[in-house]
Amino acid sequence: MSKQSPHGWRKVLAGSACVLLLAGCPSNELPKAKVLPPTQPQTEPPESGNPACQGPRDPGRVTLHRLNRAEYDNTVRDLLGDTTRPARDFPADDHGYGFDNNADVLSLGPLLMEKYSAAAEKLVEAAWPRMRTCSPDPADPRPCARLILERFARRAWRRPVTPAEVDRLLAFLPLARARGDGFDAGMKLALRAVLLSPHFLYRVELDPDPASPAPHPLNDHELASRLSYFLWSTLPDEALLAAADAGTLHDPGELERQVHRMLADPKAEALVDNFAGQWLYTRALDSFHPDPLLYPFDDSLREAMRQETRLVFREFLLGEHPVRNLLDADFTYVDDRLARHYSLPPPGTRQMTRVSLSEHPERAGLLGQGSILAVTSHPDRTSPVKRGLWVLEQLLCKAPPPPPPNVEGLPPPVDPRMGIKQRMAQHSSDPSCSGCHSMMDPIGYGLENFNPVGAWRQKEEVSGAPVDPSGELPGGLHFKDGVELRALLESDPELEHCIARHLLAYGLGRGPTSADACTLEDVASKAGAHGSKLSDLILSLIQSEAFTHRRGEAEGTNEEGSR
Amino acid sequence: MKNPKLSRRTLLRGLGALMALPVLEQMEPPVARAAQPGATPRRLAVFYVPCGLFMPNFTPGGSGRNWTLSPTLQPLAPVKNDVLVLSGLSHEPGRPDEFGHHAAGTGAFLSCVKVVKTDSQDGIRAGVSMDQLAARALRPYTRLPSLELGNDGGDGTGACDAHFSCAYARNISWAGPTSPRAKETNPRAVFDRLFSGFDPDATRAQIEKRKAYEQSILDFVNEDARALQQRLGTRDRRKLDEYFTSVRELELRVAALDQQGPTCSKGPRPERTEDVREKTKVMCDLMVLAFQCDLTRVATFMLGNARSDRVYDFLGLTSGHHTYSHHQHQPENHAALAKIDRWEMEQFSYLLQRMKSVQEGNATLLDNSLVYFGSEVADGNSHGHTDMPVVLAGRGGGAVTPGRHVRYGGEPIANLFISLLHSVGVEVSRFGDDGTGPLARLKE
Repeated sequence: MSKQSPHGWRKVLAGSACVLLLAGCPSNELPKAKVLPPTQPQTEPPESGNPACQGPRDPGRVTLHRLNRAEYDNTVRDLLGDTTRPARDFPADDHGYGFDNNADVLSLGPLLMEKYSAAAEKLVEAAWPRMRTCSPDPADPRPCARLILERFARRAWRRPVTPAEVDRLLAFLPLARARGDGFDAGMKLALRAVLLSPHFLYRVELDPDPASPAPHPLNDHELASRLSYFLWSTLPDEALLAAADAGTLHDPGELERQVHRMLADPKAEALVDNFAGQWLYTRALDSFHPDPLLYPFDDSLREAMRQETRLVFREFLLGEHPVRNLLDADFTYVDDRLARHYSLPPPGTRQMTRVSLSEHPERAGLLGQGSILAVTSHPDRTSPVKRGLWVLEQLLCKAPPPPPPNVEGLPPPVDPRMGIKQRMAQHSSDPSCSGCHSMMDPIGYGLENFNPVGAWRQKEEVSGAPVDPSGELPGGLHFKDGVELRALLESDPELEHCIARHLLAYGLGRGPTSADACTLEDVASKAGAHGSKLSDLILSLIQSEAFTHRRGEAEGTNEEGSR
Repeated sequence: MKNPKLSRRTLLRGLGALMALPVLEQMEPPVARAAQPGATPRRLAVFYVPCGLFMPNFTPGGSGRNWTLSPTLQPLAPVKNDVLVLSGLSHEPGRPDEFGHHAAGTGAFLSCVKVVKTDSQDGIRAGVSMDQLAARALRPYTRLPSLELGNDGGDGTGACDAHFSCAYARNISWAGPTSPRAKETNPRAVFDRLFSGFDPDATRAQIEKRKAYEQSILDFVNEDARALQQRLGTRDRRKLDEYFTSVRELELRVAALDQQGPTCSKGPRPERTEDVREKTKVMCDLMVLAFQCDLTRVATFMLGNARSDRVYDFLGLTSGHHTYSHHQHQPENHAALAKIDRWEMEQFSYLLQRMKSVQEGNATLLDNSLVYFGSEVADGNSHGHTDMPVVLAGRGGGAVTPGRHVRYGGEPIANLFISLLHSVGVEVSRFGDDGTGPLARLKE
């Protein structure tokens, strides 16, 4: 499938069309197209694989990775049974390449360190009574202390600890004793030190020679952490640690077994929240406040929309659907409220219920979901621009450059009778806008039957203008409505590469580089052999060298993601 | 009021703190040690609002002492004689090469150093902000070197502004070119941070023990980090540098545990709230409280992050701030901006009135402070970086003469910052990319 069109219209487009379209533009301030690294090589590959991808794969460079807020909360939940989510009060994590787990952008400033210290003290105070699993011999409390500390540090640091490391922790006991305090006080200090250590706060992966760019396999415990933070956003469980201890994780069969086990675990919900929530932008639903006079909306509708996307994504994660069916899945999940909002027959319950959309093709797939339609709208009107951009960036990995200065946004209509297409015509009348907007706007037109809160409409609310959902994809692919748009996107050969690309950025916590093109090609074609389910893409990525290997970099070089 | 007299030991510790600054920060131009002028502390505060202001409604009529409040400035009427409106100043370092005026303008807002465009943390490079220069010099005198506050943390989707790192869009305080000082956005956590560790009943021995324990943990993790550092490559070592710097800051806080606690009344612990009206008010209260109790002498507040598209529904508005700010010369948008700008000014006025209500000897807290109000751009539609909206409030202990409107002809805001730094005793002669000396006419 990817072979038949390895460089279709879209690559040409991302590389140059936005600029080409502007070639006749008198403005000398041409926006520069933000060229994403090609997911495929520029030359036509022979039938049997791509010559540029013959050699060994470059696993890329993953930076020392600080736990982000979600990872910290989940980690202390699974380590200490804490459900207070202390990271809610940590400073917001920066995000890079669309995700807030990008190691390059996760920094650690003084305020965060202060929060870590305070959180560690609180966590240890609360958990200590439960952790005191042995009674220390007053004559020599060390064996009991060693037992507790060794077990705790191994889980917290996600690797075996050396006797020397435990000895260092034991030194807190005499320190407390010298100040007149007992076993408990000393142990609490040691436990706090474990939680404030860089071995806890960062996911540490080491190179035999940090200055050598030669790839080498991760050790089994590093691999276990990559797996658990990718699929669960938390530390490895006992089963994963045991496999790492046994040294079997690099075996592809064992990896596959673990991945299926982990995806079936409720903790895989983290992938729904943290990957899908950011990939699909639905996290932004929390801060979406539509104009209450035009588009009635409330928290129960917001919650139902959020659940709908989660449940559909989860079914794709666990089920047998090919991932591209995300675009035209003929089922969804609604409760009565959401069903009425969507003009679907209510299922007769306030529980989210799986319903068939075979009689309602206009609602099928991601592009019929209220959550996505809302977060790509303005509070008071739809935005064909935002929706078109979302399709280009999140589904096709083709981002146009940002707008030139002084022309952002669009004023509310001077003439309220003016329909959205008339207003968007401003873009094509201005040559500095038309190049890129001719890519975005016509895609968004295909979703104009959905208002800013995702309800179906035939007329625009304010102007009363009839909706015209026809538009075109770049390259002159016309569609008459949302159903046709969806079909075109669903059959787009780039779709799986693009999803794999987002998975790579999230799963590795680093920006994709041009060197990843071959890896992504491998991942998509390997997953294709199994039916291209979401779990196939995830497993293929996990089995790729980008995931199982790492490398250092020569001193003085400073590679950047190529975006 | 706490007696600002310092023990020799505190002073030495302060000097030690300066010497312990990380390498990067040592490379910056040396700062003269702030001699604390006079007996009463001087404070510096910053009030940042996003998306610019609609200038025709902002700029007052008249000049000198003969001036009238503009529509947007009306809420300042109760403190008209305590403010100095400075028109015609420029902020050229905030201008990006092409796109991303909000992130670039905010990243350079207080440093006047043009930021490097990047969306990777690895490449971020801004400048040291003026509040942090002040904080560094004033650090020995208070428990907290500075307080960074804001209303918005940041949501986790999409890009911040035209592929500028979100670090630029969310932070105005920068301790070093690569070290933004994250802000606190939960009033309750601010309160805890201001007053935590104070046990009025603790004995000397108990405090000493706590210090020893805290320090022992920091020693342990420092050793962990040092051992780890030996085994890392260049880039990972740079990441770990942040860890070392932060541990060092924590050590300073531990060392200050035995400093005299606040003798002022701290009042009730604020509730957790997401209502921007409530939150802004409480954040202003906390700034005043921190100054009043002399817990810090430097504070910055971001009413919103750069390019905020907050929907001010309680003002009867239905679209977002950033969207309106691209007003495209439509009167409807001007009207919406007038409401937002005026609301912002009401909040600023609230802060000033609260500061004015705190008596310090014969003067007020506001008299002993300088408060800088500004935004990342001038007009939001054209993304202007000249004729910036600037209000300076307070007297800085006599450093400025308020109650006036002064018109300038394009002088850099960096020069104003030099004057602000002088008011707290930091003797710099140049600042940022374009600061060449103190700004004239601040005093009559």
